[in-house]
Amino acid sequence: MSTSHGIVVDGLSRSFGEVHAVRQASFEAKPGQVTALIGPNGSGKTTLMLMLASLLAPDAGTISVAGHDPLTDAESVRRQIGWMPDILGSWATLSVRTTLEITGALYRLPKAQAAQRAEELIQLVGLGELANRPTRVLSRGQKQRLSLARALVHDPSVLLLDEPASGLDPVARIELRQLVRRFADEGKTVLVSSHVLAELDEMSDTAVYLNHGITASDESIENAKATSRAWRLKATDMTALRAGLLKAGILDTNITIDRNELLVTLSGETEAAALLAALVASNVPISTFAPAVGDLEHAFLDLSKGASA
Amino acid sequence: MSNFFAGVGTILSLELRQRVRGVAAWVLLGIFVVLVALVTAAVWVGLSGFGQEAGAGAGIYSTVIYFVLLLGTLVSPALSGNAINGDRDAGTLATTQVTLVSTWQLLLGKFFAAWLTALAFLVVSVPFLLISLFAGDIYWDTILVSLVILAVELAVVAAAGVGLSAIISKPLFSIVATYLLVATLSVGTLIVFALGGLTTQSETTNSYTYSADGSGDDCGPPEVTTYNVPRYDYWWGVLAANPYVVLADATPSNFDSSGNPEDVFSAFKVGVRTVQIVPDLETSYDECASNNSDNYYDYPTGEEIVAQTVPSWFVGLIIHVLLGAGLMVWGWARTRTPARLLTKGSRIA
Repeated sequence: MSTSHGIVVDGLSRSFGEVHAVRQASFEAKPGQVTALIGPNGSGKTTLMLMLASLLAPDAGTISVAGHDPLTDAESVRRQIGWMPDILGSWATLSVRTTLEITGALYRLPKAQAAQRAEELIQLVGLGELANRPTRVLSRGQKQRLSLARALVHDPSVLLLDEPASGLDPVARIELRQLVRRFADEGKTVLVSSHVLAELDEMSDTAVYLNHGITASDESIENAKATSRAWRLKATDMTALRAGLLKAGILDTNITIDRNELLVTLSGETEAAALLAALVASNVPISTFAPAVGDLEHAFLDLSKGASA
Repeated sequence: MSNFFAGVGTILSLELRQRVRGVAAWVLLGIFVVLVALVTAAVWVGLSGFGQEAGAGAGIYSTVIYFVLLLGTLVSPALSGNAINGDRDAGTLATTQVTLVSTWQLLLGKFFAAWLTALAFLVVSVPFLLISLFAGDIYWDTILVSLVILAVELAVVAAAGVGLSAIISKPLFSIVATYLLVATLSVGTLIVFALGGLTTQSETTNSYTYSADGSGDDCGPPEVTTYNVPRYDYWWGVLAANPYVVLADATPSNFDSSGNPEDVFSAFKVGVRTVQIVPDLETSYDECASNNSDNYYDYPTGEEIVAQTVPSWFVGLIIHVLLGAGLMVWGWARTRTPARLLTKGSRIA
């Protein structure tokens, strides 16, 4: 693998007629990291991915993918990127193996190498039993795996995964997560988009928030993270927990009961750390102390609120 | 350069592998073989009744070639007319474009696949062409030129289909547009020619001098009648764009010793050349003329007509090739990535 520069996007805009799909998007995705691309439906995630994949030309702004500009040197970009689109198309009459072999040929791999690579990828994504069946018999989740395998044929250094987990069963999701982590550990740049924030939370190192085509600035993300949020607390002795909270100076109005747990509104990580220390110091038998919503979800909801306000 | 053709070859084999798996293509070829067999038999029986000098060979050969052109141009739009937008609908276009295959490789691969499929009709008709060789004398130049022109015409339809499939976003519309293009050239040119001739008519004067007793004496004043004739000679150029005319006009003609055409190509050629001749707008018949030789219009033979008129096939062929190539270039501009312009409502992926 050549030295990877990851993805650098600056002031990127693209509109379709009156619709401004992406406007002023700027972010960086570094090699060795999984970067989550987060945004509501229609926020411009797919349009952004298409521009990174050298399929769509931006109206304004610059892109650098693995050190190359898709607009002037699409071929160099294409050698380096593996793109998994959000729609599932496949050559219906061809088998899984043939699909991967032909994709290899399209990437100019020699025949033997393409066949070997196809076999590796079939094993990697777990389509062994279906390798010689036509792709039209695949289920949605199986097509999703084929799509991932196709994106990996030429061992790209930058992966653009658009909704890779949709349609996957829980086991396959966990496998995907491990796979994505492995790619990052190998030094690849991974950009993943998804609506399922909890899932992205588990695999991503950093996140890019896209709303109405605009990326949120680092500053607003930090602000969003710092806003007060609910923490989920549980103890073997709930009465002692409530007493401990009041003793630590938490207002009664900031405590709500959620099933057999307590939700406590705290202003940020610092306050949370201080509270936990206080609770432990007063010997509360605490068993759960965690944010009620994931980091990404919290920031995302907060930013969405900010944008619509 | 070898990389370029390797990419075209990959797309070509990808297209053929997907298409050949379809039962429909084989059924179609089967029906075609049966039709050609029937036509061959009919022409053979029909022509041998006339006791032609050259036998039925040339007649069978030219009929089969025309039949391949007819079927090829009827089937090709359905095969090539959704090459690009069909892939886009199936979600396989963008995943192909994101590989190292260039837009030209993609378009040319699909073009060659459509062309080869159309040429398959020619391949399965080879047995019947061989029969025609046994049935009589056919000249090699006739075979060579007609095959080349046939192949080029099928290529034009394939290119137009692929080009239109890249220009128009809906597969159904691009297939229909390709059919309309074929129909415009094959039938539309005939309609324009016929209507054009009828709308531009010239008055023809005919004077007829009677001889009362038929002896040549006692002649009265000539009786003058006028009537209108359609001026097809103004419109023959339209026919140059007709693929059937191009095929006939380009192929070297064969005439028997009386100057009559021996095959369908030559017959068509005589037909389209005849309309070039400017009609005589003043005719006369004088029974009292000292000798009657002036009265008998010496009708030229087919061979003489061809010899005294101008060929137009290269004009038609150039128009066709430019049309096919132009649509391919336009299609390329619409398919090229990174895309700047998208058709309204279309998704790139």
